[in-house]
Amino acid sequence: MTEWRNGRLEGVRVTEGGDGPLTAVVGQSVLFAKLQDLLAWGRKSSLWPLNFGLSCCFVEMATSFTSVYDVARFGAEVARGSPRQADVLVVSGTVFLKVAPVIKQLYEQMLEPRWVISMGSCSNSGGMFDAYSVVQGVDKFIPVDVYMPGCPPPPHAFMECLLLLQNMVGSERRPLGWWFGPQEVQKPIMPSMRDAKRSERMSQREYPSIDVLPRTDILSPHFAGQPNGLSKTKS
Amino acid sequence: MIPGASTIRVVEAGERTGVVAEIQSRFGAGRWLSTVQPTKDDIPTIWVEREKLRETLRYVRSEIPRPFPMLFDLSAMDERLRQHHDGLPIGSFTVFYHLFSFERNQSLRIKVALGGESLSVPSSIDLWPNANWYEREIFDMFGIRFEGHPFLRRLLMPSWWEGHPLRKDHPSRATEVGLFQLPPEKLVMTQDALQFKPEDWGLARTYHDRDSDFDYMFINLGPAHTGTHGVLRLVAQLAGEEIVNIVPDIGFHHRSQEKIAERQTWHSFIPYTDRVDYLQGVLNEMPYCLAVERLAGITVPPRAQVIRVMMSEFYRIASHLVWYGTFAGDVGALSPVFYMFNDRERILSIVEAVCGGRMHPNWLRIGGVARDLPVGWDALVRQFVEWFPSRLDDYERLVMDNPILKQRTVGIGVLSLEDAIAWGATGPMLRACGLPWDLRKVRPYSGYEQFDFEVPTASNGDCYDRAVVHMLELRQSLAIIRQCLDSMPSGPYTSLDPLATPPLKHHTMQDIETLINHFVGVSWGPILPPGEAEVSTESSKGQTSYYLTSDGSQFSYRTRIRTPSFAHIQMVPLMARGELLSDLLAVLGSVDYVLSDVDR
Repeated sequence: MTEWRNGRLEGVRVTEGGDGPLTAVVGQSVLFAKLQDLLAWGRKSSLWPLNFGLSCCFVEMATSFTSVYDVARFGAEVARGSPRQADVLVVSGTVFLKVAPVIKQLYEQMLEPRWVISMGSCSNSGGMFDAYSVVQGVDKFIPVDVYMPGCPPPPHAFMECLLLLQNMVGSERRPLGWWFGPQEVQKPIMPSMRDAKRSERMSQREYPSIDVLPRTDILSPHFAGQPNGLSKTKS
Repeated sequence: MIPGASTIRVVEAGERTGVVAEIQSRFGAGRWLSTVQPTKDDIPTIWVEREKLRETLRYVRSEIPRPFPMLFDLSAMDERLRQHHDGLPIGSFTVFYHLFSFERNQSLRIKVALGGESLSVPSSIDLWPNANWYEREIFDMFGIRFEGHPFLRRLLMPSWWEGHPLRKDHPSRATEVGLFQLPPEKLVMTQDALQFKPEDWGLARTYHDRDSDFDYMFINLGPAHTGTHGVLRLVAQLAGEEIVNIVPDIGFHHRSQEKIAERQTWHSFIPYTDRVDYLQGVLNEMPYCLAVERLAGITVPPRAQVIRVMMSEFYRIASHLVWYGTFAGDVGALSPVFYMFNDRERILSIVEAVCGGRMHPNWLRIGGVARDLPVGWDALVRQFVEWFPSRLDDYERLVMDNPILKQRTVGIGVLSLEDAIAWGATGPMLRACGLPWDLRKVRPYSGYEQFDFEVPTASNGDCYDRAVVHMLELRQSLAIIRQCLDSMPSGPYTSLDPLATPPLKHHTMQDIETLINHFVGVSWGPILPPGEAEVSTESSKGQTSYYLTSDGSQFSYRTRIRTPSFAHIQMVPLMARGELLSDLLAVLGSVDYVLSDVDR
């Protein structure tokens, strides 16, 4: 499969051989790949989210766009105001009865291919708001590709789910035209992260005390190395 | 007359009951004024007959010496299931007016009991213009009509909704009413309900006079719009580029917090308060916990008070930073937000070290805080206190001295002090008009009287001045944090009052009585004595107040949440009329609001 690693595409056949400098230059800049793979790679590396926020989760989503987290590293910082230019709808917050038709319309205005991330407990299932004015999960009326737990999920959770979605998008195969055989999109089977992480989580036996302050060093690297700041060594 | 800084003083508790005597001497202490309700707060509460309501309101609005120019809150409650009437003239519904006088530094609560077939009250829009949305909200939530209201239709719920949610016979949970589905015909119906028809809102489509004749243009912003910071909808009526009128349409973020409060135990509602204004964490928990403590008569130990103050000020800074960055972004300065979110991350990492959460700390408890500060907290806080002042200097140069930002905001969206008071503005909105009114100063709570800080003000009430006030408040909050750091008292972090804390775990295995009390206290939570208490505090956006009614059970009978954003969004048309369309976003940006705080 085509994959971008170490600054270049891997898994594609690069021209080799020849002895002149021209051949070497051509060998470095020309590559051959299946068009389908190349398109999938391009899609996954430039997922443009719709600039649409509902509640608390949107603030954490917006935080991941700013400098500490910088979602631009994954090519997903181009937040679009118009659904017609967006690839990903991040349902970031509580889905209210009154706003459900609006979300539905936004989703329908997005062009194929389009994906949906359900961010936070409210959007996943209603969360703590089992209330008359709240829809118990956005999947009641639009399909969801990635569910993100948390209330609200921190920015790194948002980025983890973005990478999961990228993996999915990169391995999707979409027919490029009319041909014989199956016409539908071939989607990969995504494993449940709960199952994938279960053994690691269950093996944890020691939990850090909240009094151990270097823990915040891990969470916020910008505190380390400041004048008068905490050193990175454990106290 | 509106007092300046020199005339503001803290009024003694004994003086606060004087207003009841004044009203009684004006109207005679007849049957309808003889009922003065004792409450757990110091707010004089009188019951008025429906027929005398207008007269009484007009008297306290304009005729009484040192009148009550602000309608702070107006809501209702369903009394039909209430057990403890205590001799009050309670009908099936009660509408209550919470009035405020700056000169007296006093609140006044006027209640009117409703019963029988026709649930209706005369409208008081002519006395206080901000009664408009409050009365619509009551109509929406309780089905009580207001005679003379020009535009009585639903405010928070969609127009196709049936029933009135805050009535006791309305279901609380979504899971009680069946699975939500959105079949095509319902989609069409709900989307049709969102269509904007100017006539429905009392707006003309054309302008016509002797000299000119033209069509107005209507522009819809939201609920999905990048400039409205959330699901707010505004429809602008334009003559060319000039704003003739604005119609805000809210309710897209209605999370039914007040209804949820009636089914959560006193403790388990605290996480919900976090989400009322999701930017300001413990600043939401503060008025709720103070109100519960007032109901239960719990004293908070000094260390807990100072921890509360310190975390409150951290959240105030965090909330102001978000506001500051988005405000600069709204008027076209796109880079400041990256600096401000960076500093917000520093605050949130301290919050995470102390509380464990980032945006929703769930940190305050009835009687104190969740646990003691972690060892080494002072190093973290000191680091921030030393780091932040130079950043504030940078922000001043980056944002406040920026000539383009000044051109876009100076003299735009001007609000006069009289309008601000009449429309219920509080917090930085009010202080930008020149009134140094800060509850931390004039009605100190949680030990704020021991701190040395100033109340910054500005004079013009325009968009730029609102930014100035926010900017100066950041420095004051930092000063308070520094004082917390230097003089954090020792002692317990929570009260051991039985209503606040169940028996300690290590005592439970000694005798059966302690074990039972521990079990009941942990699983059901405390049962508070019947009564009513309201506490308002100075949150980041203005005055937030929780008005709790206990009926002697482990749940609240009615929780009224008064939020500043609701009042401020109602004022947007007032500030935007006559400005250009491009100034609308400057006005919106300068109003510090959060949609969950508007719709609750």
